[in-house]
Amino acid sequence: MNIVTKIALGALTLLFIGTSPVSAQEETTDLANGAQLWADTCMRCHNARPPSDLTMRAWSFSMNHMRVRAGLTGEETRDILAFIRASKTENDKQ
Amino acid sequence: MRRFMFASSMSIILSSTLLLASSQSEEIAQLKKDVEALKVRDKEMKQSFEGNSKAGFWLAGYAAVDFSSVENGDSSFSGTKFAPIFHAQYGDIFQFEGEVEFTVNKDGSTDIELEYAAGTLFLNDYMGLQMGKFMSPLGQFVQNIHPSWINKLPSAPLGFGHDGAAPTSNLGIALRGGLPKIADTRSNYVVFISNAPSFGVADDGDVVIEAVGNTGSGSAYIAGGRYAVNPIGNMEVGVSLATGDITEELLSGDSIVRDYDVFGADMVLNIDALNLRAEYIQQKIGENELSLLEGGTWKTWYAQAAYQFSSVNLEPVIRYSDYHNPEVNKNQWALGVNYLFASNLIVKIAYEINKDEDDSVIDSSANNNRFLAQLAYGF
Ligand code: HEC
Repeated sequence: MNIVTKIALGALTLLFIGTSPVSAQEETTDLANGAQLWADTCMRCHNARPPSDLTMRAWSFSMNHMRVRAGLTGEETRDILAFIRASKTENDKQ
Repeated sequence: MRRFMFASSMSIILSSTLLLASSQSEEIAQLKKDVEALKVRDKEMKQSFEGNSKAGFWLAGYAAVDFSSVENGDSSFSGTKFAPIFHAQYGDIFQFEGEVEFTVNKDGSTDIELEYAAGTLFLNDYMGLQMGKFMSPLGQFVQNIHPSWINKLPSAPLGFGHDGAAPTSNLGIALRGGLPKIADTRSNYVVFISNAPSFGVADDGDVVIEAVGNTGSGSAYIAGGRYAVNPIGNMEVGVSLATGDITEELLSGDSIVRDYDVFGADMVLNIDALNLRAEYIQQKIGENELSLLEGGTWKTWYAQAAYQFSSVNLEPVIRYSDYHNPEVNKNQWALGVNYLFASNLIVKIAYEINKDEDDSVIDSSANNNRFLAQLAYGF
């Protein structure tokens, strides 16, 4: 990778972080952990609800709700939300 | 002359090109403006959908329609339930949830019950402070499995409904959350203090423990909690304990307190499409010589297996439950099949084989088998 590409990539990343609506806390989310937790926890009490079931806004409420019900830590809740967001964005592209 | 012709035609071409160019650049400018406006609108829409505003509310809930046909008894659309859940939150610091359950009675009148109304203040990543009326955190069925779209059968296991062996709700405060991993194992906890439940004779003559989050408990309290571990990702094992007082109003109108202890154990395991769960819970009530009502232990347990054939959206379910209190000993097999239109839109049919172990007169209908059907939707 030459220096120009590096700078361009760096600038793009900065731009992305700067403009993305994700809150400061969510920048450190662990998508893989979110996906694993989703697969492990979200069908323990009820049928798994696919990310497409709710809008992202509704998910932010529901995940606070599930944090209490399922005894998740704050970090786990953010990781799962990040996973939901990512799979929704992936679907939107199709 | 030729020159003049050439010059004038050139100037015409030039000016028309210039005109064209300027009108094109106007169009481009307009398009740019439009795109900018769309970008702003897109951002606004995204914000309104994604909830960048910190405060807001959202409505969820569930509804169900039941049909039942009882051996030696009635056949009818036996109930319909509408339970809206109101959620409000302030960022990820505070959330409030409230559920009101509307049910239709035999005579067509409507029962309204505040199932829960509690706010949780998230103190840090591992602890939330919950205040208000919350579903009993002892065990799992009452708190997490009772909504119709979640319960895999149309009925609750014996003793897990209202006024059974499992506590239903509390009015008080709780600390709860997930804990940091210990030896790579996840775990979670709830500890609470709440008003004491009450003990008495219900309208139908049964002696019942009404662990409904009541406000009239004098100065009697209970304290308790549940601790659960996830030894593997898709498994949870929990233990619940509570102790304190239970209040009773005597015929004279005086109020007394008696000892009250709860113990429960629950487990759930998911292996691919197979869901296994089992739960035991007991409430023990001490004696008080001022009362005519004997104390004793109200205990119940159930075990359930369900398998989802996702290719045909069918889910067979089998459950056994067994309920004992000082007056009643009964057990039940329930067999059912569910059709899943979606994970939250389900049609269930089931057959219950009910057995009254000592054919007691008080509850002689307990021997009657039942056919049940239900349409459940979680929204
Ligand atoms: C400990 C049990 C439990 C676990 C684990 C659980 N849920 Fe739930 N969930 C519930 C209950 C109970 C309700 C219904 C609440 C009610 O009706 O009072 C619910 C409701 C929902 C709803 C409907 C909207 C709402 O919030 O009421 C969605 C969506 C949902 N859960 C998603 C999830 C996801 C995603 C996960 C994994 C992180 C998850 N659940 C894990 C118990 C659980």
